[in-house]
Amino acid sequence: MRFRPTSLLVHLVLLGGGLIMAFPFYWMLATSLKSPQEALQAKPIWVPERMKPGNWLKAARLGDSPLGGGLAPGRSVELVFPGEKGRPPKAFIPRTPGAFFDPRADGTRVEVVYREGAWRVRLTNTTGEAFRFLPLVVLWPKEAPLNPPLPPDALRSQGEDWRLEWVNAVPGALGYLFHNYLEAWYAAPWGRYFFNSFFTALTQVAVGLFLAALAAFALARIPFPGKDAVFVLILATMMVPGEVLLIPNYVLLARLGWLDTYYALIVPWLASVFGIFLLRQFYLSLPQDLFDAARIDGAGYLTQLFRIALPLSLPGLVSYGIFTFLGAYNALLWPLIVTQSPEMRTVQLGLQAFVSEAGSDYGALMAASTLVILPVILGYFFAQRQFIQGIARSGLK
Amino acid sequence: MRTFPLHAVLSWGALLSLGVYAARLGFLPQAWVVVGLGLYALLVLWGVRFGWRHALLALGLMAYWFPPAAFLVPLFFALIFGRGLSEKEQGALYGWALVWPALALLLIWHVFPTFYAFYLSLFERVNFLRPAAFSGLENYRILLQDPLFWRALGNTFWYVVFTVPVGLLLATVVAILLNTQVAFLGLYRTLYFLPYITALTAAAAVWRWIYHPEFGFLNWLLRTPGLDWLNTPKGVFALLLEPLGVQVQGFWAGPSLAFVAIMVMSVWHFLGYQVVILLAGLQAIPKEYYEAAELDGASFWQKHRLITWPLLSPTTFFLFTLGLIGAFQVFTQVYVLTPTGGVLQDTLTLAFYLYNKGFRDSDFSYASAIAMVTFLLILGLTLIQRRILERRVNYEI
Repeated sequence: MRFRPTSLLVHLVLLGGGLIMAFPFYWMLATSLKSPQEALQAKPIWVPERMKPGNWLKAARLGDSPLGGGLAPGRSVELVFPGEKGRPPKAFIPRTPGAFFDPRADGTRVEVVYREGAWRVRLTNTTGEAFRFLPLVVLWPKEAPLNPPLPPDALRSQGEDWRLEWVNAVPGALGYLFHNYLEAWYAAPWGRYFFNSFFTALTQVAVGLFLAALAAFALARIPFPGKDAVFVLILATMMVPGEVLLIPNYVLLARLGWLDTYYALIVPWLASVFGIFLLRQFYLSLPQDLFDAARIDGAGYLTQLFRIALPLSLPGLVSYGIFTFLGAYNALLWPLIVTQSPEMRTVQLGLQAFVSEAGSDYGALMAASTLVILPVILGYFFAQRQFIQGIARSGLK
Repeated sequence: MRTFPLHAVLSWGALLSLGVYAARLGFLPQAWVVVGLGLYALLVLWGVRFGWRHALLALGLMAYWFPPAAFLVPLFFALIFGRGLSEKEQGALYGWALVWPALALLLIWHVFPTFYAFYLSLFERVNFLRPAAFSGLENYRILLQDPLFWRALGNTFWYVVFTVPVGLLLATVVAILLNTQVAFLGLYRTLYFLPYITALTAAAAVWRWIYHPEFGFLNWLLRTPGLDWLNTPKGVFALLLEPLGVQVQGFWAGPSLAFVAIMVMSVWHFLGYQVVILLAGLQAIPKEYYEAAELDGASFWQKHRLITWPLLSPTTFFLFTLGLIGAFQVFTQVYVLTPTGGVLQDTLTLAFYLYNKGFRDSDFSYASAIAMVTFLLILGLTLIQRRILERRVNYEI
């Protein structure tokens, strides 16, 4: 093939633009793997220590299992600080307000002794279960070296001392790599948030799809009196921006006593004008002969809808499903208004709360953001074609 | 022989059930329901002549005792009695039965709230739990003298003026470039598209981190020696923006650039959607047109001006309208990036102001007035845009 300089230029422009588009994602991922002191550098760090495989190996040697790390019941780990008998290292469980706290922390026995020319901090698991994630902190003077060697970002500088967090003492490779993710995960009830988001979105997709399919079929294929009026009404509702509906719908939900329930999250958005239009468009494009033939064979309208029209309009259904799911999963304003209790909050609200509460722990914050967008991104990579075509179809006239 | 309009009676019955429910919630006077039930009783008496007495009575009772059931009642009727009817009657019955569930939801959650928002805006500070005094257009008068409203309106205006054309222009360039290249299409499309499916909360969290005044990536970039855009008294930004009366203080450090930062983030977020739609539009243009033009010796620019632009105009028009409507309702980005409305409320937008008034100050009437003004603005702009632009849109391929 002939080499063309313009083509190279086009590729360069596209790639440059694409890298700018993708940069925030890389920055999010990189920060989510940074230790706090790495994140808060005036000069940005492109490859944090936790991204380097050499450090994974170091971390794999710490703890009982190479991947998970951790200590089995009764086992202990000893940190050795060789040197003069100066200031002893301190080991304690931090209890700052709002910080993660694990009741199992009380099951960790800590001994600090000076023996054979070295300070030794011995951490013993006296509970009945194995664990690796505890808010235990060890501080020791900067002049004392530490044995065994830890990955460089396990340590933090705190005034005159080095600060080691217990999670970094026995992390295993995965615990080391995903430290921020674990921290973010335990800081909020994410399981519940994810359940709420998925339940809301999937119900909206399933029920909304069913209702839209019924209405669209009637509007496209069944002659009935008042059809034009119904169509005009539906068209007119498209002109009303969603903002206008916020307050009246809130009032309606309050009078129904539905605030802070799944009804509030789901029911107002079940009837989708977009879905009705999209599916109507599909049903209109199907040849009339199909339906005539079915009619001659004795099929009623419902049979025609469920046996002929629905299966043939699969692309439309997929488009509708993707749009509705994205809309519901990514929604912030509506759940913010109609839910109060943490049990009813969705992922986006959880993240929003996390953003304002986590303060300067940007590693955990970026880890939480990654967790939130992960399901959709994974879905995209598994069903790229459907996503792209589904979105493209929304622009069809 | 006259036939019985079962579909009409069914729909009226179902509508009646909504009325019953509305009256129970206090949205309608009870007397109306009594009148409605009376009219319905007459319908039932009429139905006696055609043998529908039992069925209609059942519907009426169901409507009264358990209104939500009426959503599906017409559908059950169609299923049970549909067989024996003439084709015309069957169409009428099935048409209404299928349209009804979605239509009823639209009536409840879209049509009624639109009017109810206007109704609420006519009262003095309604907090839906308390009775309020009718005040006519007083809220609108206050609104027009409210400096915060004008700031929100101004910000929203600038947001629309900046993000819609810039986004569309960038997207058109990217789409045209993508359309000329076959290699790596999937890669580029993914790069540009991923921001769109990323939840705005997560994206905003990442951008907030990139914009961080001390440790943010962008400020580091702008501080780079040789490219010192912010810190010198006459850096590039300062030279560009100070004549316009904007004080340049670094991204996020001061108020002036905060809103610009939100706009940049929004363009980044929505670009992929526009690219995908435009690309679909471009690919629908027959290749023969370009071949013919090339035979006639058309240049690159001529081809785009004379073929691409006119044939792409419906897609562009669609995206323009959609972008306009969406941009007028911008909330999430602003809320996540500046939860308090920024320094001195300088990032206030209409939707954000509505949220603040309605759900932070619980002043539902005033917030409804804001919603109605937004509605009118969007409606007016869409109509003007239709008149001016649609004449230039070419719908034939």
